[in-house]
Amino acid sequence: MLWENMLMAFSAIRVNKMRSFLTMLGIIIGIGSVISIVSIGDTMKSVFEGLYREIGVTQAYLMIGYWVDDRRQSDFFTLDDMARIKELFGDEIAYMDSNAYASADALYGRNKVKFSFDGIDYNYPDVQKINLVHGRFLNEGDILGRRKNVVMDTVSAQNLFGEENAVGKTFRTTLYGNVDEYTVVGIYRKEISPFQAMMMGANEEGGEAYVPYTLLTWPNDYFYAVRLFAADEAQMDELYQNIKIFVAKSKGRKPEDFRMNTVQDEMGSVNGMLGGMAMAVGGIAAISLLVGGIGIMNIMLVSVTERTREIGIRKSLGARTKDIMIQFLTESAIISACGGMIGTLLGGGLVMIGGSMMGITAVIRPGVVALAVGFSAVVGLFFGIYPASKAAKKDPIEALRYE
Amino acid sequence: MKSILGGLGRKKLPDYITDNISEDLIRLEDLVKVYDTGALKVLGLKRINLTIHRGEFVAIMGQSGSGKSTLMNILGCLDRPSMGHYYLDGVDVAAMDSDELSLIRNRKIGFVFQSFNLISRTSALKNVELPMTYARKNKKLREERARQLLARVGLGKRAEHMPNELSGGQRQRVAIARALANEPPLLLADEPTGNLDTAASVEIMELFSQLHKEGTTVVVVTHEEEIAAFTERIIRFRDGEVLSDSPNVPREPRGRDSAPDAEEGIELRDT
Amino acid sequence: MLIENMLMAFSSIRANKMRSFLTMLGIIIGIGSVISIVSVGDTMKGLFEELYRNIGITQAYIAIGYWVDDWRESDYFSLEEMERIKEIFGDEITYIDTDAQTSADAYCARTTVQFNYTGIDYNYQEVQPINLIYGRFLNEGDVLGRRKNVVMDTVSAMNLFGVENAVGKTFRTTIYGTTDDYTVVGIYRKEMNPFQAMMMGANTEGGEAFLPYTILSWPNDFIYDLRFFCRDEETMDELCANIKSYVARSKDRQPEDFQMVTAKEQMGQWNSMLGGLSMAVGGIAAISLLVGGIGIMNIMLVSVTERTREIGIRKSLGAKTRDIMVQFLTESAILSACGGILGILLGGGLVTAGGMLMGVQTVIRPEVVVLAVGFSAVVGVFFGLYPASKAAKKDPIEALRYE
Repeated sequence: MLWENMLMAFSAIRVNKMRSFLTMLGIIIGIGSVISIVSIGDTMKSVFEGLYREIGVTQAYLMIGYWVDDRRQSDFFTLDDMARIKELFGDEIAYMDSNAYASADALYGRNKVKFSFDGIDYNYPDVQKINLVHGRFLNEGDILGRRKNVVMDTVSAQNLFGEENAVGKTFRTTLYGNVDEYTVVGIYRKEISPFQAMMMGANEEGGEAYVPYTLLTWPNDYFYAVRLFAADEAQMDELYQNIKIFVAKSKGRKPEDFRMNTVQDEMGSVNGMLGGMAMAVGGIAAISLLVGGIGIMNIMLVSVTERTREIGIRKSLGARTKDIMIQFLTESAIISACGGMIGTLLGGGLVMIGGSMMGITAVIRPGVVALAVGFSAVVGLFFGIYPASKAAKKDPIEALRYE
Repeated sequence: MKSILGGLGRKKLPDYITDNISEDLIRLEDLVKVYDTGALKVLGLKRINLTIHRGEFVAIMGQSGSGKSTLMNILGCLDRPSMGHYYLDGVDVAAMDSDELSLIRNRKIGFVFQSFNLISRTSALKNVELPMTYARKNKKLREERARQLLARVGLGKRAEHMPNELSGGQRQRVAIARALANEPPLLLADEPTGNLDTAASVEIMELFSQLHKEGTTVVVVTHEEEIAAFTERIIRFRDGEVLSDSPNVPREPRGRDSAPDAEEGIELRDT
Repeated sequence: MLIENMLMAFSSIRANKMRSFLTMLGIIIGIGSVISIVSVGDTMKGLFEELYRNIGITQAYIAIGYWVDDWRESDYFSLEEMERIKEIFGDEITYIDTDAQTSADAYCARTTVQFNYTGIDYNYQEVQPINLIYGRFLNEGDVLGRRKNVVMDTVSAMNLFGVENAVGKTFRTTIYGTTDDYTVVGIYRKEMNPFQAMMMGANTEGGEAFLPYTILSWPNDFIYDLRFFCRDEETMDELCANIKSYVARSKDRQPEDFQMVTAKEQMGQWNSMLGGLSMAVGGIAAISLLVGGIGIMNIMLVSVTERTREIGIRKSLGAKTRDIMVQFLTESAILSACGGILGILLGGGLVTAGGMLMGVQTVIRPEVVVLAVGFSAVVGVFFGLYPASKAAKKDPIEALRYE
């Protein structure tokens, strides 16, 4: 009987092709826009997650809280502080530095390029993927000996020296007021997606280089923050809490006076924000689904009126109220579900095309698709109830007499 | 009773469908129908007492407004009497609700209308299948029986045609095949020849005669004497009352060679 | 003729009340949601503007830029510098202070209340409305003499002393490590609407008090930033630029090394952000208008088919193609425009009701209303074109024969 009803519905849909198409179009547009918006949200989430994974989710920064009014000299960190933390938490910390960076002009021959210098420890490649193509990375000797050696990427080398392989070349720069010669010991290649380039800023004209972090602490051996990478993502929260407590105790403060910014927290808040936005905007787009549903109701009412005689005939042949009801409900649910499926294809397709144009893998969750198609069928059923019950309640004698 | 009807058709049918109790197929007792038109009440039928036995071939005649259409609607269980009893196959249907009446119509009554009332854009075969669909018969059985019935009314080769591709006489034969689908004890025809030319009318009435001979009870509502002449009993109505009720010697059916639809022939075989 | 057409349109709209209502409903919902969203945006803008006007739109803060790597002691401000700025820009600056704030517990007998102290100059009242109800405001003597006098609001006084009029009462608090008794010399009443309370935080448990800014700069006379109010909103951008240049020159820096935050600028940012957001979300809500338009087209097509005979009769009586076209276009435009008007009433009503519930003055711009009605009529005409031309092109003989 269900099959019969579906066949009847399809034939009714075919009879009025234009009308059925326009009715579906409302649902197509509604579901299409909801799917697009939710999928854009999901895609953004995954892109941000990728971005954060790239910079390392176990990364964290520890510093004195901005809310602390009475700053003291001891609130800053020293190399000794770092050494003590390293000693105490050893293997649990994969990497640690003073989060030092400075920018200055680098001079080579007649070339002058604005460089950003990032102070790092020798084991930085353990926590960050660095695709070294020439020379070597900074080693323990460079760090401990405060040697003026740098590692830069191919683009920066090209900008400053006019060639990619600049290993062995030297340039002059001024860090914290001291002018010195620095030697390039390694060159790496950066690989970033177009989206990352957009978010982090592509470096096309300036330069970036890694220098021993011991160089960037020199003038005053105090630094504002400590950068950490936990060895184990699962236990990082506990580790960071312990480090905070230790640091606070050693500086004669409460743990609440220190701020620990973790990439994971940041990722969580970005995720939450994007999720909330996609929900809210998707909800507003769903208003069009409501309007589409009203369109279904309207057209089904027209259809019921037009087919009054048919309803009369069916009743005279023994169709019960329920049979007529189900017949019309099936029809509106099918119109809506078809619209939902086409809308899903359309919305999903648009997001995929947009994503591939931007070089991003679009995320279309099967759960969202199932929900959308299911929801559109429910819309059809809901808005079909009134017309169907109107059809089912028709008096057979009146209906048979209808012209 | 409601709960049984509310369920699926596969469930056991109620007693009033399965038990054939009465030799009196139709028995009306003090049946009254009042139309309430708001300002005034119109008496459609005034205390009708009438019995039609199983196997009769009856014509109900009268001018328009005589109450014959009202009676037709009540006999067809499309409408309910205001007072009195209507026993169909021994069961009083006067107090049944609309879904119970649907079931009665489906199993006990076959309708033939003046304007054919085939469902448009639906093949002859599907039209004939429809009552069986509502009786929840399975698809194979439905199609088999529908083809048999169409062949029986001489339309075996037209099963896939749409109503608008058939002549008036052919449409009415599809309607008759549809009326027979669930083997109802009662065939009710409301001016079945009203939209047909003379030749087609004769053809349809001969089909009814044949069905009657095979044991079906046929009740024809008409205002034409020539049509009533085919039946064995003529009940005349005027102003909502029975004017006369008399037996009739039916007109002899013509031979098969004179049938207008000779290329197909009307085969009336037992089913 | 136009009137004739409109009368015809209204009579056919009335002939199918349910159908016409459902068709309008699509437009009602579409226009209603667009109007609501745009008006919520405008209302928010209005609220933020009020908020900024309250705190003083000409307010500005200057500090060394957070992006400057090599901070020096001279980057901080001293009281002398402030005096010099006052001297030079005196006419154009209405008020200047050190933007000093601190928080500490205030004790009175057995009551302890966490207080926020804001250091201000004696002429603060000229730039910020303060509704003084008891006592006096801080005077020049208080500020120059670093007298431990404070002015607080009624709620704070109630929290600390249990009475509103606490003039003359003293309490004990510790500011920058020094514990002293402070005397209340004035009490004012704060008036804010629920939105302001939400944005700025309502003070129900703690306390707030003004005291001479000279007290809050005492232990180390280094000041991170200066706060000032400009005399003229129109010319304040220029004034701020001048102050920045002057400060940079006096500290031997580039003007770009200093950050200047003005309330006017922040308000502008909020305005453009809210404007953009309500545009984007309103656009998504407008998708439902598109769906509503499709609904109009669908129902007009049904209507044209149903009235085929009527069209035939009209044509046989001499109606031209154009006459039929205009007749149906008028009908769809009226359907849509009525929907638009009802949608405005709905959307505007919802926003107004919501605003009243939140105690906020709502903003519904007339041009948005006009635009919405106009747009809905355009939607009606656009989506009516196809059905109307279908009607107009009907062959009169065929049309007359139509059942």
